[in-house]
Amino acid sequence: MIDWRARERLVTWVLGAVTVGFLAYQWLPILTMALLSFTGPDGGTTFPMRGVSLFWYRELLRVQSIDDFKPPLGRSLVLALLCSATTAVLAVAAAQAMRARFRGNGIFFYLVLLGVMAPGLLVGFGMGLITRIVGVTPAWYTTTFAVHIVWTLPFGFLTMLAAFNRFDRRLEEAALTLRANPWTAFRRITLPLVLPGVIGAALFGFTLSFDEFARSFFTTGSEQTLPLVIYAQFDRQLQPTLYALGTTTTVVSLLAVGAALALVRLVRRRAVTGP
Amino acid sequence: MSTLRERSPRAYALALPAALWMIGALVLPTVFIGWVSLWTTRTFSVGNPLGFANYAKFFQRPAYVKVLTDTVEQTVLLMVITAILGYAIAYFLAVKVERPTVQLAFFLVLVIPFWTSALIRTIAWIPFLGVTGVINKVLIALRVVDQPVEAFLFSRTGITLAQVSFYTLLAAGPVVYTLRNIPPSLREAAYTLRAAPLAVFRRIVLPLTLPGIVIGQILVFLNVMADFATAQAIGGHKLAYLGNLVILLYDTGQLPFASVIAVLLMAAMLAGVAVLLKVVDIRRLGIS
Repeated sequence: MIDWRARERLVTWVLGAVTVGFLAYQWLPILTMALLSFTGPDGGTTFPMRGVSLFWYRELLRVQSIDDFKPPLGRSLVLALLCSATTAVLAVAAAQAMRARFRGNGIFFYLVLLGVMAPGLLVGFGMGLITRIVGVTPAWYTTTFAVHIVWTLPFGFLTMLAAFNRFDRRLEEAALTLRANPWTAFRRITLPLVLPGVIGAALFGFTLSFDEFARSFFTTGSEQTLPLVIYAQFDRQLQPTLYALGTTTTVVSLLAVGAALALVRLVRRRAVTGP
Repeated sequence: MSTLRERSPRAYALALPAALWMIGALVLPTVFIGWVSLWTTRTFSVGNPLGFANYAKFFQRPAYVKVLTDTVEQTVLLMVITAILGYAIAYFLAVKVERPTVQLAFFLVLVIPFWTSALIRTIAWIPFLGVTGVINKVLIALRVVDQPVEAFLFSRTGITLAQVSFYTLLAAGPVVYTLRNIPPSLREAAYTLRAAPLAVFRRIVLPLTLPGIVIGQILVFLNVMADFATAQAIGGHKLAYLGNLVILLYDTGQLPFASVIAVLLMAAMLAGVAVLLKVVDIRRLGIS
């Protein structure tokens, strides 16, 4: 009989192997895509690579008549920023309201969370039907924006609830006792203390909207966002330009996350040492 | 006292924008789908007569019913795979890795792909799956097969391979959370009472992590049921799930019938979540 220590170690090794194996499985396609995006001008979409070049990145920047990725990229960035700001504001307001435990706050909580549960394609489909019957033309800055918020708000809302959970109410009370009016107390005391949460909510708003595809599908109209254009191009023909574009947007997403994390650390440090 | 008094009317004012937004852009569209699904004519107008003819049509056609059962089947398959794989990963991260820095490193490497576009991640699978793809090259180099396997791209195998890589994290995350909340003293007590390791896992750890498993499975369930992009991109229009059917019918202008599919998809999803929630009370987890 093997003693339990050896068995324990065996379990650790097996689970570790599974985890590392899964990580490789998850990362290899992404890394392969990044590698293949540097293939030469004659290179195809699979191995072997034909030389190493920045050809496909230059191809992205070149002005093209049909497959120009730059206007959709601009739209997606503006939309993501809009969603980021809106999510942060609505999430702070909604979480503040939850703290006051108004009547019906339970229903409100589930109403907001419904946004995560509802399948994106169907929310977009429903919105598409509405635009048809009302007779408005769908556009990325109206209908798409509206359904993107449905998706980003719940994440921002949960982030803010968690931020207010860790929040020390006594600081706020002290400000009010010292006769600060509620708005001043909120602006000078509450908001700076929950700022890391607000940054988190804004980050969710940005990245979730920037990458969103399903919700944009029926709601965007003729001026399309980046994921829609990527999909259309992919549906026609897979080219290494798409790998270059995929690698670029992945790096942009990572930079956004990194910047937000750095900002949170900075805010935390300033909160500890004072401005 | 806080900046906002209990039950103050200002709380309603603060909650109102979010509530109106969710009602206008989520509840209303959903109700609309239900209404349009009852239209008995194909013309798009408000005064259409209502009836269940579209639903009858759906269940009379075996091809459509098969899409429904295919969708459920694929979802159940994904739930089984991600539950086991996700639990193994979560257990390793939360219990076996002891150094916080190593834990953080593992955590970051797992979560980072989650922050990137799902569409890009789907496209990234293509050079892996094709006849000249990476998997086939490796299999041939290892002499496992001598002819490239065509079954990866444009097939359920390919879709499953990609979906497992997308959704396992959803199953693992909540389990990590519940595993971390188990006080070490519980396990120590069991060991002191000379319980075998397997018994400790089966009778203490597993029941305590059940809520995490269920939450993770709800997330996987919802995502796979509604996933149309993976099937469309990797299945290459050869395979369809309910989501793909909605798009197909929308494109061909059959809006009431597309709405029927959408309603059935939503009904199946609600039923699934209800069943999963029977297993565990989500509110006891203290999410808020």
